[in-house]
Parts: sequence; structure tokens; C-alpha cells
Amino acid sequence: MKLGLVIDLDVCVGCHGCAVSCKQWNTSGTTGPLTDYNPYGKDPSGVWFNRIRSYEVGDYPHNKTINFPMSCMHCEQADCVDVCPTGASYKRAEDGVVLVDQDKCMGCNYCSWACPYGARELDRASGTMKKCTLCIDRIYDERLDEYDRQPSCVITCPAHARHFGDFDDPNSNVSKLVRERGGYALMPELGYNPTNRYLPPRVTRPIPTNDVKKKSLISSVKEWVNQAVAR
Amino acid sequence: MSSKTIVYSELRSSKAYYILLGICAVLVGLGALSFFHLEHQGHHVTGMNNQIVWGLPHVFAIFLIVAASGALNISSIGTVFSKTIYQPLGRLSALLAISLLIGGLAILVLDLGHADRLLVTLTHRNTKSIFAWNIWLYSGFLALGALYLWTMMDRKVNRFYKYAGFAAFNWRLILTMGTGSIFGFLVAREFYTGAVMAPLFISMSFSLGLSVYILVLLASAALGSREVGDLIVNRLRYLLAIFIGAVLFFELARHLANLYVTEKQGVEAFILKDSRYAALFWVGQIFFGSLLPLFLIFCKKFVNQRWAVRLAAMLVILGGFVQLYINLIGGQAYPLTLFPNAEVSSSFFDGEITQYSASIWEWLLGLGGFALSVLILLIGLQVLRFLPESLADEVIEPLSQA
Repeated sequence: MKLGLVIDLDVCVGCHGCAVSCKQWNTSGTTGPLTDYNPYGKDPSGVWFNRIRSYEVGDYPHNKTINFPMSCMHCEQADCVDVCPTGASYKRAEDGVVLVDQDKCMGCNYCSWACPYGARELDRASGTMKKCTLCIDRIYDERLDEYDRQPSCVITCPAHARHFGDFDDPNSNVSKLVRERGGYALMPELGYNPTNRYLPPRVTRPIPTNDVKKKSLISSVKEWVNQAVAR
Repeated sequence: MSSKTIVYSELRSSKAYYILLGICAVLVGLGALSFFHLEHQGHHVTGMNNQIVWGLPHVFAIFLIVAASGALNISSIGTVFSKTIYQPLGRLSALLAISLLIGGLAILVLDLGHADRLLVTLTHRNTKSIFAWNIWLYSGFLALGALYLWTMMDRKVNRFYKYAGFAAFNWRLILTMGTGSIFGFLVAREFYTGAVMAPLFISMSFSLGLSVYILVLLASAALGSREVGDLIVNRLRYLLAIFIGAVLFFELARHLANLYVTEKQGVEAFILKDSRYAALFWVGQIFFGSLLPLFLIFCKKFVNQRWAVRLAAMLVILGGFVQLYINLIGGQAYPLTLFPNAEVSSSFFDGEITQYSASIWEWLLGLGGFALSVLILLIGLQVLRFLPESLADEVIEPLSQA
């Protein structure tokens, strides 16, 4: 099994619902609490497993904002696992999820140097490194309904931009989405082979602006009548 | 070992000695206080954050570790390269190396989020981790350094002196390569990746270790009213110039290689031109840390002037510290390039230049480790015979011709 996420960049609106939901679930979960620093002050910060970055593609007026949610990619060749001196960072053989054993981590922070995706989260209160667990404590919880056995971020996403599944199964929802929509991995050139995939934004037709001729009164009336008859 | 003619003795205690010992003890105490505070409160009381995960204590620690391996070189020159003039300096060199390494490791370990779990590295053994390798390399260096010292000081085992010297020299080269490779093996951070980091760190260890050695030698001579002749000082002085040149060469090679690669031009511009690290680089590392010491060494007016050698060594130490600060903090402050050619924003301050200012606790921990090194050195010098009674020219001259 190779569990992971597919994130549809075409529909992600950057609402941060996934980030907040992740924080809520995990802060009371097995790796929690996710500490906040100066939460009511001028520069609040804290431990977030899911962070959303934004950037623009294209030039105005043909531009588009891309919201890019990022968490641990659960790489097949995870460098964070390779560099960990205590073996606290490990990759599960059964489902490919990369986890940090909070009882083994000595807080050397070298995995944070190694992760090219910036997915490692230093909890300065506990002195250990934390990261996305793919909600390991709920995806296998058989007391929950089948729908709820998904990562918190996936269930929360109001735009249905996030999908969870098994990439080893060619007929899983995530495999199909990647196949049909040309899903890609972030920075594949590094060779870490991240599990998570991103669906690129669909190519949109440019909206004509300057070159649209103003319609005559007669043609506008005709168009209105035709629309009314068609209804 | 041809230093049979040299008489070694303990450092005689004096008022200045005890004052120095007291200052070091106070600083070590403050360092311990800082550790307990960090242990109790957590690292959020430091200036560290999610981007800058190694702060000022790591700069101190790596400085001391790199200087430790360099300090042992003085001894190696006598043993491995058979330069007999350096052999009387060997005992102090090995003691200094051990004390610097213990100070550096103390900081490194006490700055961990969970220092108590260091033992897990010994039971787990991840051979793919350069960090795990370094823990073995540091431990081995301490053991070999002690063994080397033993062969120098005990006539019964003196026949193993050469073997121990060779082993220690090779081990220290691998150790510094390992320290440099902690950065060189990283592909995530643009400022580091590259094999040049290993020789750069080796050259840094040569210059920093020698600078610390020169200061310690001259200070201990002044403290114990021992004579150190111009012959030996000038040898060390010109050796220092070669090492400064080597550091400059590897630093130049590194930056030129980075500048040639388009994707690294951003981080190079950040370090060399557009940030506060640029001033530190050009003024601190290059001018005060390299060019000015070279001037002090080669200016004919300052020949045989002890203050010029002392000042040059101090400036090299300052420049080396600044160099490590730029490398560690500056390299981390530059954001990861996840989306090339895009202006990335985030409500979490990701993708932005990260600011760092060390807290008082980090300063105290770093200075405490430094003071621990000096404390071990001072105690060592008083209880065992590490220092030659005299390094005057007439004592040293026969050795220089050997």
C-alpha cells in the first residue's frame, strides 16, 4: 500500500480550512499538542502540519492565483529518514507513511535541514520534530464510519480539492485522478519520489476584454427574445 | 621522538591563574543555568524558529569542534611530517584539541531538544546519517587524542607514538570532512550543497586551530613566565598565513561555483550583496578575518612583534566565527526555493527571509561551552606536564636543523 494525498490546484481557493482542521485534530492526537507561540501577540506563530503557499501565474489580465497546500509528501526515498541519527524518523513498510517517533526524537533538527519541502515542524516546547502523520490515528480507526477514516484535511476541504487513497491500487480514486488529470509530484528532479500528487490548474480560455465590439440595440433585443423563447 | 632534550613542567599557580579559573567557572555555571532554563522552558525562549533550527549555540559548537581538529595539527606536523621543531608543541596541541572538542560537544549536546536521548544514536546506528557518523567520529577523536597524548607523555608506550600520531591525524581529517559534509550532503538548502564544503572545513580547522593554539601558547608562556623564542613564533606566524590563504581559496572556489549556477545566484546575492550577512562577510570575514591578519603577518615593520601575531590570531578567530555564523544562520535564513521564478506568499511567513536574533540564553550556553574548554585546559596544564620549560631560540634551534 502507498497512502497519500492528491490535491487539486484548480479548485483550491486557499481558505486554510485544511490547515485549521489539521491543527484541531492533531493537537489533541497522538503527536499533539501542536504548540502556538505568542498566539494573541503581534507575530503569532506555531506548529502547523499543513501550510498554504500562494503565487501568481501569467501576467495581468491573464493571470491566476495558485494556492498550493503543502504538508509532508511521504517520499519513497525520504531524506529526513536517511539523515535521522536516532531512527525516530521512519517510513512504514505497510503503507509508506513517514512518521516521527516522539519518544525517540532527540531534537537535533537535522531532518529539517534535509527536507526540501520544508515539511518538518520544530515544536520548540516539546523539543522534538513533528510533521503530517496523514492522520494515522484516524485512518485505521475502525470505530469511525468509513468516510471518516480519511485525513482530517480531506474531510474538511469545502472545495473537494483534497483526495486520499492508495497509489498502489491503479483503480483507486487517487490513481484515477492522477492518470486523468496529469497529476504531478513537486520537484521530482530531486529523486525523493514524493507520494503526494498535485493536479495542475485547467487551461482556461482567456476572457476577451478590449476587442469585444459593442452590440447594436436590435441584436441585443433579438438575443434576449431568443433566450426567452428557448426557456 | 626527538623532544627528549625538552623539559616539560606543570603550569605554576598564580593569582592570574586563579582569577582566570574563577571567570571560567562562573561562565560554565551560567552555561549550565542556561541549559536548565532551556530544558525547563523549551527552545521557544531562544531566537530559533521553524526555519532557523540551528542557532548561535551551534555556531559556537561547530567553531570549537573545527578548531579542536585543527589544534591537533601542530602535533601532527611533528609526528606525521617529521618536523621536529613542532614536537615540543605536541603535548599542548593534543590537550588543547581534547579540551576544545569537549567544550564544543557539550554545547552541541545541551542544545538538543532532548539531550537525554543522545544514547539512542548509539543503540540505533543509522549508517546513512552523516550526523550519526559524526557522533562516532567525535567520540573516536577523543579516544585517539587521549591515546596520542599518552604515547607522548609515557616513555613505556613511546614506541607507539608514530602510530598513534598517524591514526589521530587521519581521524581528524575524516572528522572535519564529516563536519563539512553535514552541510555538503544537503540538497535542500541551496547555500550548502557541494563537495567543496569538506575541504573548506578542513582548511578552516587548520587556521582556527592554529590561531587558538598561538594564543594559548603565548598566554600560558606569559602566565608561567616561560620563554617562547621568535623562531617558533615566526614558524607559526607564516604557517597561519598559508592556512588563511587556503580558507580564502576554498571560499572563493565555493562562491564562484555557486555564482556560475543560475539557480544559486539568488542565495549568493543574498549572502554577498543584499542582506546584513553581506556586511558580515565582506567586513567581518574577508577584511578583519583574512586580509588584516595577512597584513599583520607580512608587514615588515611587525616582524618579531608579539602583539601583531596575537592580534592576527584573534582576528582569524573572529573571522572564522563570523564565517560560521554566515554559513549556518545566513544559509538557513534564505527561504527554500519551492516554486522557481514565482513570488511566493504565505500567511505563515513561509517563503520569506527569516530573521534571527540570538537570545541571552543562547549566548550563555555558547560562552559556557567555550569557558568549559578553557577550564579543562587550565586544570590540565596545572596537573600534568604539558608545557615545555622553554621554547627559546637556543633550545629550539637544534630541533629546526634536525
